[in-house]
Amino acid sequence: MDAIADTWFIIFRDLKSRIRMPVFIFITMFQPILWLVLFTQIFKSLGNTPGLGTSSYLQFFAPGVLVMTVLFGSAFSGFATLIDMDMGILSKMLATPVTRTSIVLGRIIATVVVLLVQAIIIFIIAIIMGVHLSTGVAGALLTLFLISLLGLGYAAFSNGFALLFKRQEIVMAVTNLMTMPMMFLSSMMMPSSALPGWLNTARHFNPVDYAIVGARDLVLKGYIWSDLWKSLVVLGAWATVGIIFGTMMFRTKTE
Amino acid sequence: MSILQTKDLTKVYTGGIRAVDGINFEVEEGEIFGFLGPNGAGKTTTIKMLNTLIPPTSGTATVAGFDVVKNPAEVRKRIGYTAQNVGVDERATGKENLTLYGHFYRLNTKTIRQRLKDLFELVELTGAEDQMVSTYSGGMRKRLDLAMGLIHQPRLIFLDEPTTGLDPQTRASIWDHIRNLAKTMGVTIFLTTHYLDEADKLADRVAIIDHGKIMTIGTPKELKHTVGGDVVTISSDEEGSEASADFQQKARKALSGKDFVQQIQESNGSLAIIVASGESAVPKIMRDLGAEGVEVQTLTVSHPSLDDVFLKYTGRTIRAQEGTQTTFTQMRLRSNRRS
Repeated sequence: MDAIADTWFIIFRDLKSRIRMPVFIFITMFQPILWLVLFTQIFKSLGNTPGLGTSSYLQFFAPGVLVMTVLFGSAFSGFATLIDMDMGILSKMLATPVTRTSIVLGRIIATVVVLLVQAIIIFIIAIIMGVHLSTGVAGALLTLFLISLLGLGYAAFSNGFALLFKRQEIVMAVTNLMTMPMMFLSSMMMPSSALPGWLNTARHFNPVDYAIVGARDLVLKGYIWSDLWKSLVVLGAWATVGIIFGTMMFRTKTE
Repeated sequence: MSILQTKDLTKVYTGGIRAVDGINFEVEEGEIFGFLGPNGAGKTTTIKMLNTLIPPTSGTATVAGFDVVKNPAEVRKRIGYTAQNVGVDERATGKENLTLYGHFYRLNTKTIRQRLKDLFELVELTGAEDQMVSTYSGGMRKRLDLAMGLIHQPRLIFLDEPTTGLDPQTRASIWDHIRNLAKTMGVTIFLTTHYLDEADKLADRVAIIDHGKIMTIGTPKELKHTVGGDVVTISSDEEGSEASADFQQKARKALSGKDFVQQIQESNGSLAIIVASGESAVPKIMRDLGAEGVEVQTLTVSHPSLDDVFLKYTGRTIRAQEGTQTTFTQMRLRSNRRS
């Protein structure tokens, strides 16, 4: 019970300080919006690509932008922990009876809550631009659930790296090193059938691809459970491993 | 009753640095216990072992009745902690900071609300509760920091260098607050400092720590007595070396051989009388001089300082030690001290 209450207080504290800087929430959304608006215009002619499953590249790419938003946002979750560490907030908290795991869990969940708000805004912009949601509101909610699993895992890794390396520039370098390959080694920009063979194999080892496949099914096709359950299992495992890594780092590296 | 005991408490960091090297001491309930030493002496490492933030390499420590290694959760419930760098969240208000800690200490909302008011009054932040901490001055932050460690009414609080980096007026006001806490709340205070005057003015007892070892422990007064006696300096206002010599001769005669006098020396036309305790010697000196008809115009009593104590036990002054370090923080600290 204490653990749940502590997690809630940490989430509440984190969200409150973020709400006080609404500008920041919008600034971090700028890049995904650029991809959604400009990238889909530049590559409009890709609408003819066989295997796209739709005649509109925007329709094809929009689920990828949702995933991208979560990926970019959760990568920096550990920075807030580093700030807490530098300001002495963390060690002061640790001298209280607060549940240890709640501190890192609360931060990760708060990150994902903000990302979900951003994802909803991206969803709305996409719909305004003409993206059709074949599974309606229920499908949209399932999509949000899938990408929040991705975000939980990645935010947890980011926090783990922050505690392990203790320096912003290293955390930034490491997460950048992960974010870009995870984005490109997937079917985010091209349908899997149009990818070269090795890349098509590589994407099966990439949790990001499972989020994209699941989200794209729900937006374009409907409930393809043969894909969806795989996405749920892989992303669930990804989130679990991330959280275990993050809390383990927290337990061992906060001295 | 002691509220804190350590036995051979040791911390060896990876790389073999013995930050704390087998220290033994006790802190009595209700006292202000000062841990005095230069930077790098092992003060912060000791505090972090006592408040469960880092595990000792060997040895034991019992805080508020519980072992810090076997029962850290029970220790945490009973202590408050103020770190060297202020651990307040500047992206929140004073009230939010304090409320969060109330929750961490498992207090219910009603209790928190009641204590908020008293605590803000105690640290004189009433009126600033709903301001963002980013608008607070350094002294206000430190006071909020103190309050955050008190919301659960702990029996013992740890203050790690509570006034480092603060200006002189703010330091004096923080001292008042610390004294006030000890008096009104009866809370035991364990504080570390590298300021001699802070240890001297605040602490009931002082431990001098250097290179991870405790060199000596005692009340500031006891420690100063170990260095040597107080000096009572007397002089007559009469001009001229003849009159002065006459005065000195008479005074010497009146005081020599008395049991409270350790030594008599001439210094710059005055007479320096070295005694065990200046305060109790003054009436006797005046009595004995009066009996011989020697008239004293001025009299001063000076005590040995903790600096002398530090010199005796470590072989150097605390300031000289700091002078060998030239990190940026050190330079900033020193320039703050000068201003």
